[in-house]
Amino acid sequence: MINVIRKNLVLWLTILVLVIFFVMAARGMDTEDWVITLLRGLSVGAVTFLVASGFSLIFGLLDVLNLAHGTMFMIGAYVAWTVYVRPDTFVDLLAPGLLLVSGFMLSGLWDRLREGIRIDGFLRKALPWMGLMLAAVIVVLVFRRFPITIWDVGNYAQSPVTYSFMADQGLLVLPEGEPFEEISPAVAAIGLMAGSLIAGFSLSLFKKSTQANLKVGWRSYLGFFMVALVGLAALFLNDGLTAFLTGINSNWLFFLAVLSAVSFGILLGGVMESTLIRPLYVRPIYQLMLTIGLSAIGIEVVRAIWGRPEFVMPKPAMFSGTGEGCPATTLADLVQYHCSTIELLDGRIRVYNEIFIPVVGLVVLITVWMLLQRSKLGMIIRAGVQDGEMVEALGINVRRVFTLVFALGVGLAALGGALAAPSMGLSNVMGESLLLNALIALAIGGLTSYPGAALGSILVGLLQQFIIKYGAIGIPIPFTEIIFKPTPPLVPASTVLLMVIILLLMPNGLLGRKE
Amino acid sequence: MTEKTSPTVNSFVSQNRGLILSLLALVVLPFIVGLFEGASLGAVWQNESGTSKFVQGLAIEIFILAIYALSYDLIFGITGLLSFGHSMFFAAGAYLSGILLKSFDLSLGMTLVWVLVIAVVNAFLFGIVLPRVKGITFALVTLGLGSVFHIVIMSREVGDYTGADVGLQAVPVPEFINPATHRLTFYFVAIVLLLVVYFIYKRFVDSPTGRVCVAIRENEDRAKMLGFNTFYFKIVALVLSSVTAALAGTLHTLYQPIVSPNTAGLGFTVTALLIILIGGVGTLNGALVGAAVYRLLDFGLRRYLGESASFINGAIYILIVLYLPFGIVGTWRMQSAKITEGRKRLLKLLKLEK
Repeated sequence: MINVIRKNLVLWLTILVLVIFFVMAARGMDTEDWVITLLRGLSVGAVTFLVASGFSLIFGLLDVLNLAHGTMFMIGAYVAWTVYVRPDTFVDLLAPGLLLVSGFMLSGLWDRLREGIRIDGFLRKALPWMGLMLAAVIVVLVFRRFPITIWDVGNYAQSPVTYSFMADQGLLVLPEGEPFEEISPAVAAIGLMAGSLIAGFSLSLFKKSTQANLKVGWRSYLGFFMVALVGLAALFLNDGLTAFLTGINSNWLFFLAVLSAVSFGILLGGVMESTLIRPLYVRPIYQLMLTIGLSAIGIEVVRAIWGRPEFVMPKPAMFSGTGEGCPATTLADLVQYHCSTIELLDGRIRVYNEIFIPVVGLVVLITVWMLLQRSKLGMIIRAGVQDGEMVEALGINVRRVFTLVFALGVGLAALGGALAAPSMGLSNVMGESLLLNALIALAIGGLTSYPGAALGSILVGLLQQFIIKYGAIGIPIPFTEIIFKPTPPLVPASTVLLMVIILLLMPNGLLGRKE
Repeated sequence: MTEKTSPTVNSFVSQNRGLILSLLALVVLPFIVGLFEGASLGAVWQNESGTSKFVQGLAIEIFILAIYALSYDLIFGITGLLSFGHSMFFAAGAYLSGILLKSFDLSLGMTLVWVLVIAVVNAFLFGIVLPRVKGITFALVTLGLGSVFHIVIMSREVGDYTGADVGLQAVPVPEFINPATHRLTFYFVAIVLLLVVYFIYKRFVDSPTGRVCVAIRENEDRAKMLGFNTFYFKIVALVLSSVTAALAGTLHTLYQPIVSPNTAGLGFTVTALLIILIGGVGTLNGALVGAAVYRLLDFGLRRYLGESASFINGAIYILIVLYLPFGIVGTWRMQSAKITEGRKRLLKLLKLEK
């Protein structure tokens, strides 16, 4: 026991000082104030954790400092908003999206076909490029005539801000869906799928022939048929699907929105890793630059599609009851009336922000922890963080795990974005500030440590909220008459200072591995 | 070359032929541009507004960026310290000179002295953390220090001096160097400063101290093994870099008369990183070339594409990162043997040379 304490003396002392600090800070305010501040801190901490955990997994295993992670968080939020507020646009985009993805699902078949090709020389080299160009021409030709009902950033009456406001007031009227005019849906479907199949085959042609007898598993075909089937369904049953989505309970729609955001994040992460990051493992600094460039591009794309103004995604019905019986005082009331706020110790607590988000954060924390500790994939990931070369030497396909982890990390960030959309609102800069928070949290907790990410995120969230609260109350500076009231812009400085102090005391962070 | 010139001068000229040529081009550039527009040389000399004055302004911005990028190249490219708080060095110089000139009515000389003192202090602030943290943790600590500086500058508590999030406005600039009326003087001052900084840096990299810095970049443990206290060498590099960046900041304040808080943000550090990546990391000329390419590209894209410029910018950086990893100067150096050979073959083919 004594040894355990002596071994990590600095760690225990730091934690003790932090606890004393928070207790003293809590004693300085009324009971309901500190309970609310604590819950708010946990809420901010949970969102930070969702970004930080993915970031730390990626950094630990791949050694990639993914500075585009904040942008991924933002994209997750915007995707969730689209599904939740404009299901018609979502269905319109779902069909071409899935049909375009479908061709790449058949990579096993493509590899096998490639072995059958018996051409050499210039033609063999030119073939993939020609295929890609052909695919691009087909897709562009079809997609230009593809009707997509979408908002109009330039027109205020039809901008995302207005739709968001209308949805919040319950007055949302979706515009009439545009019919196919220049081409028939069947032609569009065939064109998109043909383009996707050709592109998938051409990409596979870039690899060299291995002369191996490859087998194609039935899973590969099943995946292709599932994706293509859902895509075709979304295309031909467009109106019915839209009507179904607008008709269902907003809780289910919210769930669907979060799910879509996470899937989109996973897809985006997988594509990013396998196309852009993979060639750069030998040049670490350049990965950093690449992610910075991607982040700039991502923000520009979001600006072009959803516009610059900020707006807030409405909360689902489960968390937005305001009428009779609200704010709830008992648990039964809360379940019965779905109140947006509850009364606790004379203070009002927003259910979505201060209860739901921390709970989801906890669930994700435990799920990923179990995944890391109890599954084979988790074992490989943990081993890879310790010594990647050794794992590779043991005959495990680390590249594949890399892609999976990157996709998972980006998916977690997108989940954070989708959850934060109703509480923090959507803006072009939401990613940057959160990325800074996550970086600070990771530096405090230890860059590659998963529990460290959780601890650091909670510390950052709590500290920020306590300082914001004290901005209103004022901090009496000892031995003087001055009462210092920090303005909100000064708040991030406090977390940064905490980070610098902790890094000076313990260069690897609170729970980081010693080198 | 005449026979009288000594061999050292001769070799200096032949080694820096490109530099001297571009310097000459830069000296005559304002006049040539003026002639193209139809303005007389006298008009250019008198700083009458026109294309020439505009081009001078663009060139001055490039020189300032080049000095700033050089200072980043010294600590990142030469010494191998990845710092994310470098814009703090620049912004400290920019803000301090602006505040001293505006709120304290100091003379330009006194301002410069103070800027130098604070720059050294800044470098030691980064230096304190050096023995404790390395690699990516150092990057994070410097990012932290830089963001604290950024946040403090943006806060309302010091808003009377810094102008908070609007930035420092209307700095009174001494008349003899005022870019509105004496832009040509400013242009030449900036060239001379850039040249002085460049040669000091070149000398530094070739000096024994600079060699140790390169050794630290390559393998710090080995440098320690050889008996060098690497901490001192890093501090020297940091101080030199900080002083240079602060000078660039002062020049920026004098040229713009306003200082935006963006100069203290992470984005501005990334700008320096991008510039030396475009030019070539660790090659001092790369910073000069990169600054010109970066500013002109940015200017051109903004002018012709407007809003979507930053999208194209990002795409170009990704392409450079993927396909031109050693930057323009780095790639040039690697390929120069092939280029010389190719030129010889071409000349032989054309029967110009046997």
